[in-house]
Amino acid sequence: MKELKIQRILFYGLLLLMTIIYMGPFLFSLSISFNAEQDVFSWPIKLIPEKWTLANYQRVWQDLPFGQWLFNSVAITLIQTLTNVFFASLAGFAFARLEFPGKNIIFSVLLASLMIPGIILLVPKFIILNEFHMINTYAGLTLPGLVTVVNIFLMKQFFETIPKDLEEAALIDGCSYFRIFWQIFLPVSKPALAAVAIYTFQGSWNEFMWPVIVTTTREMFTLPVGMAFLKNEFSVQWPLLMAGTILISLPTLAIFLIFQKYFVQGVASAGLKE
Amino acid sequence: MLRKQSIWVILTTTFWGTIILFGCSSPQSNLLRLSSWVSSPSETELFKATLDDFRRQKPDLAFKYEPIPGNYSEKLQLMLGTRTAPDIFFLKGMTAPSYMSFGILNPLDDLISQSPNFDLDDFYPFALEAFQYEGKQYGLPKDFNPYVLFYNKKLFRDQGIDSFPSNWQELEMMSRQLTLDQDQDGKTDQYGFIVEPSIEMVMPFVYQNGGNFQNPDGSLGITDEPFIEALKFYHGLYKNGIATMAQDQGVAWNGDAFGRGICAMAISSGWLIPFLKDNYPDLEYGILPLPMGKQKATVAFTTAYSMPKATKYENEAWEIVNYLVGKDGMESWTKTGIAMPTRKSVAKANGFHDHPTFKVFMESAEFARPFQVQYSERGFEEVVVALQAIFYTEKEPRKAMEDIEAQIKKYRLVGSK
Amino acid sequence: MKLSSKQKQQARTAYLFIAFPLVIFGVFTFFPILFAFFISFFDWNLLIHDKPFVGLANYFELFQDRVFLISIKNTIVYTIGVVPIQTLLALVLAFIMNQKLKGRAFFRLAFYLPAVTSSVVTSIIFVWIYSKPGLLNYLLSLIGIEGTDWLTNPGTALFAIMALNIWTTSGYFMISFLAGLQSIPQSLYEAAKIDGANAWQQFWKITVPMVRPVTYFVIVLGLIGCFQVFDQIYVMSAGGPVNSTTTMSYFTYNNSFKFFRLGYGAASAIILAFIIFGATWLQKKYLPSEAY
Repeated sequence: MKELKIQRILFYGLLLLMTIIYMGPFLFSLSISFNAEQDVFSWPIKLIPEKWTLANYQRVWQDLPFGQWLFNSVAITLIQTLTNVFFASLAGFAFARLEFPGKNIIFSVLLASLMIPGIILLVPKFIILNEFHMINTYAGLTLPGLVTVVNIFLMKQFFETIPKDLEEAALIDGCSYFRIFWQIFLPVSKPALAAVAIYTFQGSWNEFMWPVIVTTTREMFTLPVGMAFLKNEFSVQWPLLMAGTILISLPTLAIFLIFQKYFVQGVASAGLKE
Repeated sequence: MLRKQSIWVILTTTFWGTIILFGCSSPQSNLLRLSSWVSSPSETELFKATLDDFRRQKPDLAFKYEPIPGNYSEKLQLMLGTRTAPDIFFLKGMTAPSYMSFGILNPLDDLISQSPNFDLDDFYPFALEAFQYEGKQYGLPKDFNPYVLFYNKKLFRDQGIDSFPSNWQELEMMSRQLTLDQDQDGKTDQYGFIVEPSIEMVMPFVYQNGGNFQNPDGSLGITDEPFIEALKFYHGLYKNGIATMAQDQGVAWNGDAFGRGICAMAISSGWLIPFLKDNYPDLEYGILPLPMGKQKATVAFTTAYSMPKATKYENEAWEIVNYLVGKDGMESWTKTGIAMPTRKSVAKANGFHDHPTFKVFMESAEFARPFQVQYSERGFEEVVVALQAIFYTEKEPRKAMEDIEAQIKKYRLVGSK
Repeated sequence: MKLSSKQKQQARTAYLFIAFPLVIFGVFTFFPILFAFFISFFDWNLLIHDKPFVGLANYFELFQDRVFLISIKNTIVYTIGVVPIQTLLALVLAFIMNQKLKGRAFFRLAFYLPAVTSSVVTSIIFVWIYSKPGLLNYLLSLIGIEGTDWLTNPGTALFAIMALNIWTTSGYFMISFLAGLQSIPQSLYEAAKIDGANAWQQFWKITVPMVRPVTYFVIVLGLIGCFQVFDQIYVMSAGGPVNSTTTMSYFTYNNSFKFFRLGYGAASAIILAFIIFGATWLQKKYLPSEAY
């Protein structure tokens, strides 16, 4: 019994330590973002501000095109999430339920493309978009991510678990495939759709490398790109930087808290299907 | 059933269409754009004020000022390569050769000759030459700024120093006198001098020592004795603990360290003046020409306005540039001493030669040299890395320079002799 | 006849359904792969109009480029350092989360938070933590150690960024492991308990072997992610100091979008891709993915 108790204490000690390590940096940056003292240069650092203020948030919001960046990020994320949910489920439906010549070849080619490291596409994608005069446009930012193979794969896997008799009855009634997809499959696929949506949301909201390359003027920046540039502009003015980082983290955090269940399902199913 | 499918086809195509339409309309306005880098808020404010002066004169010429934060040269070249460049932009004299050799800038000669009152001869020749390539003028210098020595009057007084460093030995000696451990905890809390592992900072010492980055015959001078000797002297100040570096102190840059009194002397230029005024208004400081080595020398930076080859607004842009480098615009921009005017007449009319601080800059201009080399930016990067190796990892200076010599030679600009 | 026309119609519908994704993948994945090879044979500078064919010159230059060789070394050090630790840590976290525990949702959120936060945000926070007057040095000063400026010290910068990477991704992979753990039948543990196995033994003898398929997946994703690490490097160190954090993807970025030598950049990306293929192949060969 004593051994069990020690095990218990050790376990909770470990848990506490881990929680501090994983949450600590966020809490400290939150605390610094309210620091009225711009000069966090003083040593030893004050982890808890002596004077609290909201001025850092105001300044970040006013001095920078934060609103424009927020709009860009929201627009891109929204478009990519919607198109991914729609086209990935549509294509997933075709691969799961329809028969057509070349189906297996097409699908395995798509799967194989998952093995291609993204870095190799960077330069050619950039040149192609430059030829189309799409650098520094919303098209350049959104087009390459309108639909991804992973999402098609997830949807196909999910649709295959739906019993056949549902659609057979509908087919006999003379329903079109689109109607079957729209009225029968989609309503029962909410968890999978949610996983795809959240996955895509998180990916495009946090995407950094591509917008860094494709945007050239401040007006076109997304929030992460804007933040990275903020770092140059404010260099060691930590309270301002931290206020900015907190501001751009809030939407992801909110979405995560609301849809936590689907998040976990999404990641988990991606892992198990491999 | 087929009808339903065609509805579906229509849906997809409309969707696709809206995306493309949406994508091609970007908020990047259809307006003449002017861009600068962002160095300090004070400088940006000052520049905006100059632009406002122009707006008052020509209220109907609409344009947008768009500063580019972050790595300016990188972003600007990306813009030039993707047809998204601003119609007027700052061009650094240091990197001008590569821009000019790529043929991405708009030659200004025709525009200049069409403006009879422009008076090109009024400019200091060294500033104009920095933006000439194959007989064409690709930029008009807005100002120049030589490196000078800033010193903290109070810290000098505290140590009872009443003279100023006029040569390397004195610089070293006074730095030592001004390096203090006031609370006796074994850690230095005031340094005499501050260094920076950047080639621009090393070059004044190299020039003073009779060395060169690129010799007049085009060969690399970075492993020649005068270069190495100067580098060793500069690094020695840091190695001997009488100079510090900004990152060692957790501050953003040298000027900040100087303003805080972390170092008693710093090499900097005109841009430090408004910064100190805004952030450390009580600081008592003075300005001196750089101490000399074998000869007097300093590096002068000059910045020009340039236009991209593909500008839609050539005439409008020229009108703005013409104002900004004209007598009124230049006077409005340089009046605070943030940089020195490149027009002799503006310097004369505004008493730059007699002003207690500006005169130091004007005197320095007489022995100042621009820093320009016929190597691409990758070449500069190699030098930066080598300097970092010297300052951060105590690599032997000669070894560091020898290691990169062969690599840098590869980055000779295309078309240069 | 009737059947065939139905099949035809089904096929037509299917093609319509997959048309949009295929166009997107065609333009932004399949064509670019071929195009990347094409570009790599040219001296393709964004700013220079002439783009001469240079054959394999870019590849030859790469292997003489000291910075490129350093970047390969850094990338390998990075991957070898990060992947095992993050995998193990993720498994440990998942093991903790799989115990009977009050406030599980809270802890899951705590561990998962770094993974859902933008990499730029976590990077900026850690730039502060690693700075000379930052949190890490403050904590070290409490136990009497004077720390360095972690990101401008060439000896520590890469390891500092590796630690950040482990911190962010371990929570993400924890979720993958958690799903794997939950599919292990409880009876196995009960049997082990009867045999007198303690928690530690249960972990090594049951948990680890049973989650092998997930482990395989986590390692593959980890390898691909680490080999292409970019965001953190861009925000925190820009490859410096003294190239100590220049990774291959950063090298590719730098040469393509800072020096605008797109052909050279494409060539380095292709080599990186082959290294990634090699690594995943090695893993497949020596780390079987099947469970016992």
